[in-house]
Amino acid sequence: MRLDSSLAQKRRPDRAALVIAAALILAAVGIGWSAYSAGGIATYSPVGPKTVPYIIAVAMFVLGVLTVVAALRGDFPERERQDVGPMVWVIGGLAVQMLTMKTVGFSIATGLLFAATARGFGRGPLWLTIPVGIVFSFIVWFIFAKGLQLSLPAGPLESLFF
Amino acid sequence: MATFDLLAQGLLVALQPANLLYALIGVTLGTAVGVLPGIGPALTVALLLPVTYKLDPAGSLIMFAGIYYGGMYGGSTTSILLNTPGESASIVTALEGNKMARQGRGGPALATAAIGSFVAGLIATLGLAFIAPTVVKFALSFGPSEYFALMLLAFMTVSAAFGESTLRGLTALVIGLALGLIGIDQLTGQARLTMGLPNLFDGISVTTLAVALFAIGETLAVVAGHRFGGEKAQAIKGSVMMTRADWKRSWMPWLRGTAIGFPIGAMPAGGADVASFLSYSAERNFSKHPEEFGKGAIEGVAGPEAANNASAAGTLVPLLTLGLPTTATAAIMLAGFQQFGMQPGPLLFVTNAPLVWGLIASLLVANLMLLVLNLPLIGLWVRLLTIPKPWLYAGILVFATLGTIGADGSTSMLGPVPVSFGLGLLLAFGVLGYLLRRFGYPIAPVVVGLILGPMAEKSLRQALQISQGDPMALFHSWIAIALWLLALTALLLPLWLRMRGRGKVLAQLATDED
Amino acid sequence: MKHFFLTTLVSGLLTLSAHAADYKIMAPAAPGGGWDQTARSMQAALQDEGISSNVQVTNVPGAGGTIGLAQFVNQANGDPSQLIVGGYVMVGAILTNNSPVTLEQVTPIARLTGEYEAIVVPAASDIKDMAGLVEKLKADPGSVSWAGGSAGGTDHITAGLIAKAIGVDPTKVNYIAFSGGGEALAAILGNQVTVGISGYGEFAEQVKAGTLRLIGISSDERIEGIDAPTFKEGGADVSIQNWRMVAAAPGITDEQKHAITAEIGKMAKSATWQKTLNDKGWADTFLAGDEFSKQLNKDIESTTVILKEIGLVK
Repeated sequence: MRLDSSLAQKRRPDRAALVIAAALILAAVGIGWSAYSAGGIATYSPVGPKTVPYIIAVAMFVLGVLTVVAALRGDFPERERQDVGPMVWVIGGLAVQMLTMKTVGFSIATGLLFAATARGFGRGPLWLTIPVGIVFSFIVWFIFAKGLQLSLPAGPLESLFF
Repeated sequence: MATFDLLAQGLLVALQPANLLYALIGVTLGTAVGVLPGIGPALTVALLLPVTYKLDPAGSLIMFAGIYYGGMYGGSTTSILLNTPGESASIVTALEGNKMARQGRGGPALATAAIGSFVAGLIATLGLAFIAPTVVKFALSFGPSEYFALMLLAFMTVSAAFGESTLRGLTALVIGLALGLIGIDQLTGQARLTMGLPNLFDGISVTTLAVALFAIGETLAVVAGHRFGGEKAQAIKGSVMMTRADWKRSWMPWLRGTAIGFPIGAMPAGGADVASFLSYSAERNFSKHPEEFGKGAIEGVAGPEAANNASAAGTLVPLLTLGLPTTATAAIMLAGFQQFGMQPGPLLFVTNAPLVWGLIASLLVANLMLLVLNLPLIGLWVRLLTIPKPWLYAGILVFATLGTIGADGSTSMLGPVPVSFGLGLLLAFGVLGYLLRRFGYPIAPVVVGLILGPMAEKSLRQALQISQGDPMALFHSWIAIALWLLALTALLLPLWLRMRGRGKVLAQLATDED
Repeated sequence: MKHFFLTTLVSGLLTLSAHAADYKIMAPAAPGGGWDQTARSMQAALQDEGISSNVQVTNVPGAGGTIGLAQFVNQANGDPSQLIVGGYVMVGAILTNNSPVTLEQVTPIARLTGEYEAIVVPAASDIKDMAGLVEKLKADPGSVSWAGGSAGGTDHITAGLIAKAIGVDPTKVNYIAFSGGGEALAAILGNQVTVGISGYGEFAEQVKAGTLRLIGISSDERIEGIDAPTFKEGGADVSIQNWRMVAAAPGITDEQKHAITAEIGKMAKSATWQKTLNDKGWADTFLAGDEFSKQLNKDIESTTVILKEIGLVK
């Protein structure tokens, strides 16, 4: 799972940078097309609702092209070695929290995020960190949702107590 | 001298032991909630306001003032130490402050923020008391043309936050500008780049973007570099207090920050974020150590923090004198004032003098309490950094997502699964934040673009519509012309300096210092 | 001392957790604007009268309230504790913005107030009265810039109707949309625009203080306590009332709807609410239940016609 990009860095052109450039150009075209296909409206201002989107699309396109040049010349800074595995744990934790929040409530969903983050940093085991995370999140939920009236989703666990 | 009498009376009430205790409780609660990563002052004040309802009017008012200042200050603590600003006005603080914290100078960074906030709060509150009518007149002379020129100036000067590469700095800015397009166009009601998603109709929230890019992006960057040692835990080196040199480098930025923050906070479309951006670039220009900017220059914390707090007091000027809330925090405060029986408007100072002066006295006392509470606590706050990373970052993510879901409780369907759209955005922008860091793009310009872009576009179009398309209207007042000239200077001066050999200038500045 | 500290905290934490009759009111406008004032006045009345122990107001501004409405329809579904303030403006905005959500998707509870539109000029303006404005408009409609709320709102519609009534092409009205009454007010006070048009309540404090001059009001007849002629008297045959209502979430049960209607009815009769109406110059046009639903449908029909006629909807 190790992404050893310091090797990639030495390779010119910088492939990752080319991907960034492509994304910028694609986004520029998307913004421009979206402005072009929107309906028009008459106002006294020569600058209408489409003008600024066009300007931004052009700017983004130009920057995309310049990024291609920078990528070919290897102008991007050297990148440190990165560990993708732990990051997947954290991103996965966030995704699970997003997907489960509305069904299982704040405490359980956020407890899972807590445990996944700790796991990403190499702390476990999950059978211990998940309960710890849920208890911690439940305390946070109690203080904010019950004490301070913040609207945080309640699930089965929360309704067990309230 | 009726003014002084009224203020003295207010102070006498505010200084009663019971009221001092309320101020302390307010400041403590405000700091405690405000310090949580991802929870900004607006949310803090909104959450804690009901707590004050139980007290008598004087106690309620003074506790409220404490919460307000505590919430404002608490946010900068985590911005500095953990690089997790909870709102747009703390982003600039995080820029230099976090660099300082990484060098073990978190203590002095927090101290200059606390003392700067106190100085700015003191001066700006006195300004509110004595020159509010003048300031509001100045603020009202800002129409669409002036706002557009001000936004241009802000654009030109924030390039200071662009980091080492112009290409990547500009790209980050344009990404922010593009995100700013998303939503319904206010002037014509047309939807732009919303992809038909109603959740995008009100645009991308600045808070969500800031929390995602900073807090989530930072966590991802730290965890990805963790096994390789990454950055060493920011050990505390040297004194947690400010050195003589720190004092020497801080006092002018405090005053300049106040001078920038107070009037901009008073403008109906100003705001603490614009003030902090402008203060940061001013400090960069005035500093005798411009080479330290981006690497932990104390001026870059002192100025913007002062500007931030001064603009918070500035916000009260249109709020009290016109009944015009100009920020989210101010809108919540308006509800608070009405609760205390105040009806802000042009006649408030006449019809409700005792309450207004009570409020001003409360703000002064709360400001002092904040300093009393937080200076001794700096040593404790800095210890946050000694929490083991797994628990620290797990906690950061818990509070960052809590802030998001609390502010935006909307539910969308992802296939059959009900999900939180806000959390989805948070995750997407968090990954964007990581990628930007990974490839050497600066983060701050993205948020700057999202804030300034729509404001600039709106004011330009409003100005041109008022003038029926005549572009000369953009220069119709001396304020607008002055701002245009400043913007032009900001654009041309660095080019000129570079042509003259910037190194020489820097070297000379360095010798001046010694 | 210590005892009080604890009492404060405990009462803060516990009394607020009382569940019954908590309301979250959405004001789909920027703070300071008309809907915001309505929502916050409701908040005060509901709490002061002890009808609800805790009322929160949230602002979701923009595009004539359709942004807030969309969000409300999205997130409040089936939740009887959530209310949204809205009004005539929304009817128009839904049409002009091609809004994907409509008022048929929420549960209308009651019409609360009606407010008349007012036209103001800065105290130093050379326009002295409605006739002066009409004259200027006839000479060059573009030279009169109007500051008001979102595009297609009541303010915009009224400006268009005035133009039409005096024989000026309504599409030539130079209307500048601000995101809320507050921002528009700042532009008028700062002499940035020729006239301001909005609900009377938004200008009341300034008119009292003499910083703005009220030149006309959109009622049929003069109103007691407001020193201004009607538009009709000034030569523009337009009368319009900007009503405001409160609606509940989509998908609530009939029982829940009746309970909310009863509580809002109680609020509308309360002394606090009546005082607010009086202070802000809002007329009491309370109308609830099926009668209100019928009235609402009628308004939607007629607005569609007006908007097409004055060129705001194609």
